[in-house]
Amino acid sequence: MTDVTHETPGSAPGGGGAAGGVGDTGGSGDGSDASDGADKSSPVFPVASFEDPHLEPYARNPRRAETVIGIFLILGVIGFAGYGAVYYVGGQTQVEGIFLGAGLFCFGFGLSAWGKYLLPRGPFVEERHSHVSTAAEVDAMTAAISGRGKMMFRRRGFLGGILGAGATIMGVVLAFPLLRSLGPVPKDTFDHTNWRTGSLLVDFNGRPIRSDDLEVGGALTVFPHGFVGNAMDQTFLIRPENIDIVTAPGRETWAPLGNLAFSKVCTHAGCPVGLYEEQTQQLLCPCHQSLFDVGQGRPATPVFGPAPRPLPQLPLMIDTDGYLRAQSDYDQPVGPGFWERS
Amino acid sequence: MQKKIRVRHLLPLLVLGGVTAVGLITTAASGSTVPSSPSSNSTTRSPSQSLPTSGRRSKAPPIVYVVPNSKSDIKAGEVLFEANCSSCHGPAAAGTGVAPPLLGLGPATVSFWVSTGRMPLATANAEAIRKPPRFPPYQQKQIVAFVSSLAPTSPAYPPGIPLVNTKSASLPTGNSLFVLNCAGCHTITGSGDALANGAFAPSLHKATATQVAEAIRTGPGNMPFFGPGNLSNQQVADIVAYVKGPIQHPNNRGGLALGGIGPVAEGFIALLIGVGACMLIAFWIGDRA
Amino acid sequence: MSSTNGPVQAEAAPRLDTDPGTKAVRAGVKWIDDRLGVAKDGGRSLLDKIFPDHWSFLLGEIALYSFVVLVLTGIFLSLYFNPSSAEVVYHGAYAPLRGTKMSIAYASTLDLSFAIRSGLVIRQMHHWAADVFVGSIAVHMIRIFFTGAFRKPRELNWIVGVTLLTLAIVNGFLGYSLPDDLISGTGIRIAYSIILSIPLVGSYLATLSFGGQFPGDGSIIPRMFILHVLVIPLIILGLIAAHLGLLVRQKHTQFPGEGRTEENVVGSPMYPTFIAKTTGFLFMITGVLWALGGLVQINPIWQFGPYEPTKISYAVQPDWYMGWLDGALRIMPSWEFSGFGHTIPFEIFLPAVLFPGLTFTLFYAWPFIEAKLTGDHAEHHLLDRPRDRPRRTAVGAGFLAFYAMLFAASSTDVLANFFNISLNIVLWSFRVIVFVVPVIVGLLTYRICLDMTGVKGVGKRKRAMIVTRSAEGEYSTVPSAPRPGDEHEELPPIPVPTYVESDEEQTQEEEGVRVVPR
Repeated sequence: MTDVTHETPGSAPGGGGAAGGVGDTGGSGDGSDASDGADKSSPVFPVASFEDPHLEPYARNPRRAETVIGIFLILGVIGFAGYGAVYYVGGQTQVEGIFLGAGLFCFGFGLSAWGKYLLPRGPFVEERHSHVSTAAEVDAMTAAISGRGKMMFRRRGFLGGILGAGATIMGVVLAFPLLRSLGPVPKDTFDHTNWRTGSLLVDFNGRPIRSDDLEVGGALTVFPHGFVGNAMDQTFLIRPENIDIVTAPGRETWAPLGNLAFSKVCTHAGCPVGLYEEQTQQLLCPCHQSLFDVGQGRPATPVFGPAPRPLPQLPLMIDTDGYLRAQSDYDQPVGPGFWERS
Repeated sequence: MQKKIRVRHLLPLLVLGGVTAVGLITTAASGSTVPSSPSSNSTTRSPSQSLPTSGRRSKAPPIVYVVPNSKSDIKAGEVLFEANCSSCHGPAAAGTGVAPPLLGLGPATVSFWVSTGRMPLATANAEAIRKPPRFPPYQQKQIVAFVSSLAPTSPAYPPGIPLVNTKSASLPTGNSLFVLNCAGCHTITGSGDALANGAFAPSLHKATATQVAEAIRTGPGNMPFFGPGNLSNQQVADIVAYVKGPIQHPNNRGGLALGGIGPVAEGFIALLIGVGACMLIAFWIGDRA
Repeated sequence: MSSTNGPVQAEAAPRLDTDPGTKAVRAGVKWIDDRLGVAKDGGRSLLDKIFPDHWSFLLGEIALYSFVVLVLTGIFLSLYFNPSSAEVVYHGAYAPLRGTKMSIAYASTLDLSFAIRSGLVIRQMHHWAADVFVGSIAVHMIRIFFTGAFRKPRELNWIVGVTLLTLAIVNGFLGYSLPDDLISGTGIRIAYSIILSIPLVGSYLATLSFGGQFPGDGSIIPRMFILHVLVIPLIILGLIAAHLGLLVRQKHTQFPGEGRTEENVVGSPMYPTFIAKTTGFLFMITGVLWALGGLVQINPIWQFGPYEPTKISYAVQPDWYMGWLDGALRIMPSWEFSGFGHTIPFEIFLPAVLFPGLTFTLFYAWPFIEAKLTGDHAEHHLLDRPRDRPRRTAVGAGFLAFYAMLFAASSTDVLANFFNISLNIVLWSFRVIVFVVPVIVGLLTYRICLDMTGVKGVGKRKRAMIVTRSAEGEYSTVPSAPRPGDEHEELPPIPVPTYVESDEEQTQEEEGVRVVPR
């Protein structure tokens, strides 16, 4: 007892569903003619019988569905009211979450269930209409663009060239404020830290460090005096032993009495290498687990993980009062790699 | 097109609910989870806590080192030591091929290992993890007394078992020190994590105040040593207060804490429950075939 | 029975009711039509727009409605968040941080979480919605891929969609970095190093965008803020409009089935069915997100403390949708090129710049790659079942597995801790897994697809076999009757009726609820 009008659609594209289209088929496949504009007389609207099974609700028992939906909508309202009350008395995160969350959910469930179970189940159909234009139309548009373009540029190539070059220069120049005004250029910022010859090692509270402050097996974050908290100056002072440590030829005086100082900025991506494994004598970077060997006089050599270079070592000395000072700045840029790093 | 909700449509919902429940319970069990009331913050309170550098610290010292050395303790400790420890550490704690000597390590070191249950170790190669202590506290004291009596404590180690007084501890200072010195291994929430080569930094959620101070001062295992030249007694007390407070009783006013292991747990929940629930709803709204 | 069952001419259309409601509607429709001409063709192009009903077509809506939630909650948050790097001493509600120096951005986020009513639930809801937004885009994209909905004429929409995915990921990263806490600040540090690693221009881009060597002059937070709340959301909104506009113009795709062809769309009409279902869906998604926001803690920044470049925590990862990059950074070997006075840090540049660039280029290019490889340049409005395109499905499954392995690799330390395996073993395993598992998954998927297409009734419930025994003792089996719900009981589709007629003296409604007299 399905309705009379409709053979399976698929006959002709066109018609039905187009905004402002004449819709002379008024919908799908009732067999009328194909092309748009063939019959612009008056639009046609499909009719269906009230008993049409397509219009039946999806639910087998619409009354019961209505009841259930009503319950959920009411639960939703209770949820909203509950949230309002909780908010009024000062709020509590979990209670707020439950009330409004459940409220919104139930309310939405009711609405969606209404749409799914109580409204006509269909299925319904509309025609696509192909967007593809005829070859003639494509040719016409091509002719319009290229023809008029030729009119504009015919024997005016030179002007076109100036226009193009000008637009390019305009683009380049407009990029200046967008990019260059943002901040400073690097110059040699990456090549140096604030460590200098004689810089006093201080801890996070600004306290100077003596050569015997650290126990063997201890670790401490230090900075040059006056630059506490500086991101690139941060240095990890460890003490694997209590005798001078030579990590490489030329570095005989760099670690007096076992006070070994490495840049704390990981050479991979710049995280502070704050994890010292005192027994295995390795520094582990918490971000991507690069492992640097500092035992047996090794100069923080990367042995595992993505870090490419050893952590730069800060040459230390002990001054006449027993405090640790730097002999000089690091001998290379600290931190991750960059193009200008040689 | 079905017109009823059938059991088999509920099945994916039940499975999702069951998996979610299990997942939430296990992550909850692994971290501290009680959603606390909005303003609660169970820490030791002190008037100087809110001032960064007060100077009005109470006169009581932040750490008192206690040495158990009564003769009866030492004698009883010797018996316990011979029975439980000497097979690996040697009869006079002088060490053997499988375990290091314990001479001069001091009471704090021995107390830490024994009171956290790490020692005695079942075999020499077993991983030393926190377990329920094998001995009751009075026996722990006896073992500590015996081992400490064997040799004078090396100056690198604290002279006794640290008893920490956190009454005048500053939580903001403790926080700052904890983040700088401890979070890199133990994580910012104190949940612990794996180090390289099979080592790991344990969770701090079960440590007592004394054990925290002992660990800081004696650097067990791969943990660095933080002696008085590095952290003063007051700073250690500040860290202990921070561990006993916000680390072990975190403010979880946002709801269910997910174990403190980082955003990866949140992503898991977002995909499984967030996107999953919404997909289930879509599955219900739409057609299936 | 009923009178006419066919389309009617406009002049012969049944008269409208004269009840006040319908009169008011008509007045309103006329008012708008006088100005915009919306009632052409009876307004059917809008009201009768057909939405196919399959559940997998609703996944994009999850993304859309998560975005709505993001915008609404984001507006709330932006009224309280203060995007300044200037330092302030905290004296607020969270005691362990009182007296600590922190940025105003961090302090304002603490206030949102502790001092503003519903602040924490909305803040957490915003964060959950961001995670769900990217997740639902991914799930939606996966559906589009495996059903071939990206083919002509929808390549443009695919490109718009991939761009939306990229912007969603970027905006999420910027968003969770705004509070300037320890964990997200570490992510910003890594982002600085990633920018730095770009050859030729890296150091310039880094110092320009941050205002100097890390951490810069503090301008990064306000810059991230304006990108996060204005620039990128505007672009996203425009792209969503384009995405939906293309969808409206080209109409939705559909699976093959009864009455469904390349020339039509079968499903539910926009008004009232789809609007009811989708609005309900919006409320339900909002409810799920609100419940998550109140019940499950996310990003408890007070436990992390403010970011300082000298501080770090273990067990940190970026938010989930950045996990594939973090995993790539962890498993990458330490290959750095250094020579001729310059360095190219491939150990960062490759996994964090080249690799995602390659990934998204591949995503963008896929419709054209597939068209070239298959030689298929026809229009497609009917979808594929994934099993019917085994090569595409296998390639897609393999790539999914590849990215899933990278995601897993971003928690190497947590996995090592949880399963009590050495961290080194976990890392080396991932270096192998990341290449081996996708290949295996791809091959397996290919085989499964081929097997599925060969079997009748695959994926459907099996019918029970009834065993009967004859009097002589011979056993025979007979398939049982199909279960009532198993057969596909769908009617052939009809166009949406504008008028509904009955021979009873009832109020005529336009496609209303049919009241069944009891």
